[in-house]
Amino acid sequence: MRRSVRATFLATAFLIVATPAAAAEEVSVLEILELGAELAGTEVTVEGELVGDYGFRDDGSMWTQLNDDVYVHQPLREAGSPVGANVGIAVRMPADLAERLDPPGRYRYRGPVVLATGIWKYHDSKRSGESYLEVQSLTVVEPGRPLGEEVNWAAVIFGALLLTGAGIIALVSRPED
Amino acid sequence: MLIRPVREDFRVIGFYLGRIFLVVAAASLLPLAWAGIAREWNPFGSFLLMTGVFALLGVIGSRLAPGESGLDWSHGMVVVALTWLIVPIIGALPLLMSGHFGRPLDALFDAMSGLTTTGLSLLSDVDHVASSLNFWRHFLQFLGGQGIILAALTIFAGTGGITLYFGEARDERILPSVTSTARFIWAVSVVHLIFGVTALGLVGWLALGFDFDRSIFHGLMIFFAGFDTGGFAPQSTSVGYYHSGIFEGVTALLMVAGAMSFGLHYAMWRGPRRSVFANLETRTIISTFGFTMVLTLIGLAATGLFVNVAGLARHGLFQVLSAHTGTGFSTVPSAELAKWGGLAFGGVAIAMALGGMGSSTAGGVKSLRIGLTIKAVVNQIRQVLLPEHALVGTAYHQSGRKHLTPALIQSVMVISLLYVALYLLGAGIGLAYGVPLQESLFESVSASANVGLSVGVTDPSMPVLLEMVYMLQMWAGRLEFVAVFSLLGFVYAWVRGR
Repeated sequence: MRRSVRATFLATAFLIVATPAAAAEEVSVLEILELGAELAGTEVTVEGELVGDYGFRDDGSMWTQLNDDVYVHQPLREAGSPVGANVGIAVRMPADLAERLDPPGRYRYRGPVVLATGIWKYHDSKRSGESYLEVQSLTVVEPGRPLGEEVNWAAVIFGALLLTGAGIIALVSRPED
Repeated sequence: MLIRPVREDFRVIGFYLGRIFLVVAAASLLPLAWAGIAREWNPFGSFLLMTGVFALLGVIGSRLAPGESGLDWSHGMVVVALTWLIVPIIGALPLLMSGHFGRPLDALFDAMSGLTTTGLSLLSDVDHVASSLNFWRHFLQFLGGQGIILAALTIFAGTGGITLYFGEARDERILPSVTSTARFIWAVSVVHLIFGVTALGLVGWLALGFDFDRSIFHGLMIFFAGFDTGGFAPQSTSVGYYHSGIFEGVTALLMVAGAMSFGLHYAMWRGPRRSVFANLETRTIISTFGFTMVLTLIGLAATGLFVNVAGLARHGLFQVLSAHTGTGFSTVPSAELAKWGGLAFGGVAIAMALGGMGSSTAGGVKSLRIGLTIKAVVNQIRQVLLPEHALVGTAYHQSGRKHLTPALIQSVMVISLLYVALYLLGAGIGLAYGVPLQESLFESVSASANVGLSVGVTDPSMPVLLEMVYMLQMWAGRLEFVAVFSLLGFVYAWVRGR
């Protein structure tokens, strides 16, 4: 009896320790931006695309930006609609978590979409008031991938014609002094 | 009675516009080359088209050889006002063709915002913008901050140079000739460019851990937008993206340098440096910065958003400096800025409305006008309090000893009141669309004073009329009204004159 109670206790304890992500509240970046103060110090999980740069610092951390907006799944380069500004927050994580990540999102590249769990630091007093997600665990939901780019041949040809026209006018019609 | 402009007037205006367009065409070869080197072929096509349009208009205009009359004051003002309207229209082509804007008007809004160094933006998904397009956005701010006309004057000198120079909202000629003044301004800017990009690039590379090429890229973009008090940034989270006090410090130095008048730069370079602090304008801006800073810090402390002094001081200082210099960078999101409320909100809004120094890249009422207004009011009070025949001193120091004359006071008051009217215009239109008073006023002041801080009113879903009013505010605010009224008068005379 005593053994079975102990086993049950240990099993329950293991479940609690082994599933920190499940305990974290899954929120959107928009919610974090709107409820920044209320969520301060709580463990949250957010999903989004890593964009910009990976800044590996001397203290063993890596800073980047996580966007959770319409462009993550409908990039403008793939017929997405321009509906407004990006919605992103800063994320800071141990450098080793970031070592195998695909490059961050930029022009012609959709960065990796990740599920990041960590503590939301709101105007962190240890970092003179910065707000960021201190990431503890990271899961890649979708790897990064290149985005297509279409050359606007009409613009190229028309532009070249205009320049040629300007050159011809400049040559044949010299200004009077 | 207004005299209807004749063919010769149009030839003169067309000729000078043509020469300016040729200079802009030459400048637009830079983003074209950038796109080619970066193999960004979609923007490459749009830059080629833009360059072609500028070049063709430039060549056609510069062939309209003007007669003996030359460029008079009204021609010069019309040329300046039209330049600042047409360049954004053509400069918006690459933005429009990028697919990052829903409406053509939105692309024009961003081009106008860039050229007038405002920094408000309707661009969607800035985090995936082509590097060459980002370069063009920031380079537009550099061109606008320095002054397109100034760029043209550096290359061609002419009899009408002085008219064009003053038309672009510059109050003082630092050196005897306009061309040498223009070249001095470019020399100052190039020195700051070298210092700024090197410092920001090194911080990005060594302290932030960015790749070397990306560090230089970020350094160049932030230099253009910081020194020219523009406020665009290559990432959606503005300067908050960098999470570095050192980076913010270097950016702050560039913002201050940009908000200083070029006359003051000249005094600091060539001396005597003591005269810098004797200037009425320097004393005024230090006082108003201190005042708005204290207001903001007290207000921020009351909100309880920051739990320690370091955070409060860092973010408060940066936002007020950004507002007062007319830059528009931020280290907090728009949604949070809107929550500041009370004194903090008021401090930032007042700082935006006051603006930087005259003959600088900053907007707003300008410190010299504020200083002269205060001096005039104080003199008036002293005149009332002193015996009837007592004489009240009217001297003030501004690059030498000068006197406060009734004509000067009148001019200062008129321009200051026009700014207030402009601030109220946008706020009124915003209110009519249901935007709360506080936010309407903030965004309107931000547009008119060419600042660029936003509390979220500027958005692709904003009403078209409000968007057009903000564009008008940016244009009129940047040119300080005179050139704008000259153009309106010219058009009126053309339609109704005899």
